[in-house]
Amino acid sequence: MSAVRCDGIVQIYTAQDVEVVALRDVDLVIDPGETVALLGPSGAGKSTLLWLLAGLLRPSAGRLWLDGVEVGRLDQRRLDRLRSTHIGMVLQNPARNVIGYLSAAQNVAFAQRAVRTDRRRVRDLLTRVGLGDMGARPAGRMSGGEQQRLAVAVALANAPRLLLADEPTSQLDAGSGARVIDLIKDAAERDGTTAVVVTHDVAVSEALSRTVTIRDGRVGAEGRRGEDFVVVGREGAVQVPPEYHHLLPPGSMARIEPIEDGVVLRRTDT
Amino acid sequence: MILRGLWERRALALIVLLIAVVPIATAAVGPVYTAAARTTIVRNAIDTAPAEGRGWRYATTGLDVKGSVAAFVAGAGFTTPPVFGMETTSGRPGDERVLPLMWQEGQCEHLPRAVGRCPAASGEVLASEASGFKVGDEVLLSSIVTSDPDTGKLVPAPLRVVGLYRPGPADDTYWFGRTLFGTGRTDALFTVPQTRFDTHALGSRWTDYGIVYADPRRLTGADLGTLARMQAAAEAAGRDTDDIVFSRMADTLKAMTAQTDALDVPALLVVAQLVGLGWLLLFQTVGDLVRARGPEIALARLRGHGRLRVWLFALAEPLLLLATAVPLGLVLGRVAAGLMIGALLPRDIPVDLPPETFAAGIAATLGGVLAAAFAAYRTATRPVTEEWRRTPRGSARGWVLDAVVLAVAAVGLVELLAAGVITDVSGQSSSALAVPGLLALGTGLLAGRALPLLSRRLFGLTRRYGGIGPFLALRQVARGPVTAGSVIVLGSAFGLATFAVSAWTATQGDYRQVAAFHNGAPTALTIRPMEPRALTAALDKADPTATLAAPVIKLPGPPQLVATDPVRLAMVGHWDPELAGGTSLAKAAAALTGTRSPRVWLRGHRLRVSLRHDRPPDGYTSRLRVTLRIPGEAEPVAVPLGLLRGAKGGDYAWNLPPACADSPCELRAVHVELIGPPDQEASPFLQLQVTGLAVRDAGGWTTLDPPAWTVDGDPARTDGGFTASTIDNQTLRPATHGGVLPAIVVGATDGRLSPGLDQLFAVPSERVANAVAAPGLDGPGVLVDLEEADRIAYGVHAGATYEIWTTAADPTALERALREQGVTVVSARTVDDLVAGYAGEGPGLALTLLLVSALAAAALALGRTVLALHTAARRRGYELAALEASGARVAALRLSLMLEQVITMAAGTLAGLAAGLLAARVALSRVPQFARPPLTPPLPHEIAPGPVALVIGAALLASLLAAAVVSESLLRGVKVERLRDAQS
Repeated sequence: MSAVRCDGIVQIYTAQDVEVVALRDVDLVIDPGETVALLGPSGAGKSTLLWLLAGLLRPSAGRLWLDGVEVGRLDQRRLDRLRSTHIGMVLQNPARNVIGYLSAAQNVAFAQRAVRTDRRRVRDLLTRVGLGDMGARPAGRMSGGEQQRLAVAVALANAPRLLLADEPTSQLDAGSGARVIDLIKDAAERDGTTAVVVTHDVAVSEALSRTVTIRDGRVGAEGRRGEDFVVVGREGAVQVPPEYHHLLPPGSMARIEPIEDGVVLRRTDT
Repeated sequence: MILRGLWERRALALIVLLIAVVPIATAAVGPVYTAAARTTIVRNAIDTAPAEGRGWRYATTGLDVKGSVAAFVAGAGFTTPPVFGMETTSGRPGDERVLPLMWQEGQCEHLPRAVGRCPAASGEVLASEASGFKVGDEVLLSSIVTSDPDTGKLVPAPLRVVGLYRPGPADDTYWFGRTLFGTGRTDALFTVPQTRFDTHALGSRWTDYGIVYADPRRLTGADLGTLARMQAAAEAAGRDTDDIVFSRMADTLKAMTAQTDALDVPALLVVAQLVGLGWLLLFQTVGDLVRARGPEIALARLRGHGRLRVWLFALAEPLLLLATAVPLGLVLGRVAAGLMIGALLPRDIPVDLPPETFAAGIAATLGGVLAAAFAAYRTATRPVTEEWRRTPRGSARGWVLDAVVLAVAAVGLVELLAAGVITDVSGQSSSALAVPGLLALGTGLLAGRALPLLSRRLFGLTRRYGGIGPFLALRQVARGPVTAGSVIVLGSAFGLATFAVSAWTATQGDYRQVAAFHNGAPTALTIRPMEPRALTAALDKADPTATLAAPVIKLPGPPQLVATDPVRLAMVGHWDPELAGGTSLAKAAAALTGTRSPRVWLRGHRLRVSLRHDRPPDGYTSRLRVTLRIPGEAEPVAVPLGLLRGAKGGDYAWNLPPACADSPCELRAVHVELIGPPDQEASPFLQLQVTGLAVRDAGGWTTLDPPAWTVDGDPARTDGGFTASTIDNQTLRPATHGGVLPAIVVGATDGRLSPGLDQLFAVPSERVANAVAAPGLDGPGVLVDLEEADRIAYGVHAGATYEIWTTAADPTALERALREQGVTVVSARTVDDLVAGYAGEGPGLALTLLLVSALAAAALALGRTVLALHTAARRRGYELAALEASGARVAALRLSLMLEQVITMAAGTLAGLAAGLLAARVALSRVPQFARPPLTPPLPHEIAPGPVALVIGAALLASLLAAAVVSESLLRGVKVERLRDAQS
């Protein structure tokens, strides 16, 4: 059973009376324990996909399963329960993940409230993220790096099966960023946690087992073991990676030539 | 965690606390002040009531008067210790006139002794100096008997006079309003209780009584129910037992109830509007606090906290603040009400906390609770992701809520103005007090909608002209999240404040107008009754210049009658030519004097009337009487001259009252009383004619010149003849007047018979001026010449009140001069006293409450708006920093911030001004101002522009200053370095 399964997910929102399609026909399967980096340009829909995976949004169309549970069929109470027990999330801005006037330990405990407060785990988590001696310090007085590590600890407070992180290293120096990535990988290795990380950081994407590139609301490419692949979409659509646009610019016409294990696209001049 | 969160948001929390405390305090002031006002009303009613209206005289022929009185006052903590007494009545051997024999606790302190001492032993009595008894006299009363030691028979017990008393002050409440003195031979005798036990009452019984007063120093408004219950018990005692409770407390209670009813409904409406305004303020501010916790609430939801837990989390801080605000607000309200009561109400009025105070305080808090719940609901249900979007998807402010509120306000206004939903007992429309709140709210809502739209229109202009300052200001006003809310709050608060100030100033003007007319002159001295000519003569001596004072005799009517000296009235009376068709008082007064003939004065011991008449019918008694006015007595005296005899007439003579020997008495009328047998069906009549008058004094009979005669009912008959009949008996009168009473007429009394000083409606009034209002009249009536009225009337009705009107700034000199002329001044009443009295009535007290509370609420609304604008501007710190970084001049940014605030605050304030003035125009004439609305004069309802301008001007000035300070403080916090944080 996959940890995450998206089947034709479409997400539409309305802004200024205009309907915007943030995600269109997204198909994605993530296995338990996988660490996935969601890549893509700004506005491509990465964060929207992450929020969908967190159960914070409900898809406009398509179906989403988390650990075999179809999210669309859950009422709010069950969804809250699922989020508290199965999902941990790290938001983009470190300060957003914590309540500034609470101590580090209280922040972790606050995340546990919906399930069961476990003080030993709080201490363990703070130790794991390197904040063992800062449990009593108010989160608002911590540095950005410390806050980000605390955010990871908070996200892991309930031992989630799915860890979602949105740009967890964007405001950190390289060293702090690496430490945060180590924490995520450690969680995956130690607890079998599935991690989905939105990032622009190449170092992060290289550190994770798989990359998924979102372009224009679609899954455009995937990378595994250092190699990138385009993904053939539900209607047979293939997104030409930008680095090949000089050969096959958007709007140009191409001829499809079948070969034994696929097809070749050749630009035509007419 | 809650306390840490509050400390984290301490500035906002403090503001919320303050904004919660003040409406709670304002709402709490209402009940506290109303309770004190009720106390003022009941105490005033007791203070101004006659003695018998201040308590009860519980009389019983039973044995245990103390027990009965104790049972009667049980549970009433406001009564004075009872004063017990006993009395019986008896005639004297050979004298049927009844005189009381009595004892009352502490009587000697209230009976000034002329000679002798107070009775101390059985059988001793204190007699009136006017009774003719002397110290040492023995008084025998037919009913007070004792056993003759020799014969064993019951004989009148000898009572020895040991002292003589003079009547004490007439207003001494000790006697419970009883008239025990002044009649001479029948004045009460005072003894000691032992006399009762040593004698027997034969044919009459001793009655025990206890006098209990409501003590105004201990009475409060809350005792009104107990008073009513006691009065009901008193009335029941008279019905169900042999006890008799005498009291005029029912009248006092009626006056109290009318006043408190006139207070309660307006006060309730005022408090309701203030609570509503408090709700509005709290709704805005508490919502800010919940919204400020948006990120934390979003985190709670992100971590999967359940809906209930999220709600509790969202509500915890505001609810804790509101819970803290309740006691603080109540304490503050108690203090503020204490200050108001100290400043506006009489001294010694207690400041209590009635249960309604807590209800009002909690009701005011509920606005905050609702706001917290509403904001928490929105925060807890809006998509969590909205909290973290870089550019939040702003949702347009819905029309639905506004439309509902506007519709409710409009329906309420129409209903109130057309139907009058709430009408108090006095017939005034208390519901009018709801108009300003509804209008202010409606106007505030419309202005809150209109301002962004208008700014949007002007916004385009500033793109091309005016520079970046106005551009940014208008853009912010058009889009700003706090614009509409601020305008609504300010519009509502200042609408109410403007109305309150308008109503207050107009009411003060109305009070002064009414008081000036009702009082007649700046000061009215109430004096003891005296004969009109004596009154005029005394005043002529006390004020020989005839410029300071005027004598006045008033009769309550209807129609009312005010009789005065026209010449003097023209000097002192209050008058408004505009209310009298442009006629001046001097001109109107001059026309009051009619044609006069000499009066018939009789000075001597005996009067003789020569009369020619028909033979009196058989079986009938025909008694000739003359009516005299005796010097010093206000009421006429009838003197019988004997039965008619013979067939042609003759001379009829009788003694004149002794007073006529010293001062001339006036012959006012001659008539014959014709009394027939009971079963007589015919109506005989006889013709009579006075042919001569003579008076005998020490020098013998003096024939008087025959006067001009007139006959009541047949004024054309002037020959001294008249008709006596059993049906239409005529009265012959000296024709000393013109047959009509010239009058300044107020109301529809023109052409009707004038009541006259004697209330006999003998002659018609002749209108010399028609006025909507005239001095001394508080209803339809006539103002006439005292001399004319005196000539027409037989005497002065017992219900008349006697006054001296004066313009003297210090009337004490006049009072002294009047006393020297034998005039007893009972009390002085100025226009200011009347104004203060009106202000102390229920509606006046409610308007005062409205004024103070509305001004406090307006100040709070202004403060709240400044803070809201400051907070909103602070949120734009990054934007301002970016503008500064991109080259915008600080001066332009300052101008932008100032303009934004000034436009918002000025729009709200001016919307409030418009709403308040509109409400005043629509509702002022319907707002209760008096417990009993006066029928005249017409109320001008003139709003004094000064105080209104002062309030609005102060608000605008405060807005300007606040805008300048806020702008400067914000700009100092704008640093380009902050842009680094914008990455986050």
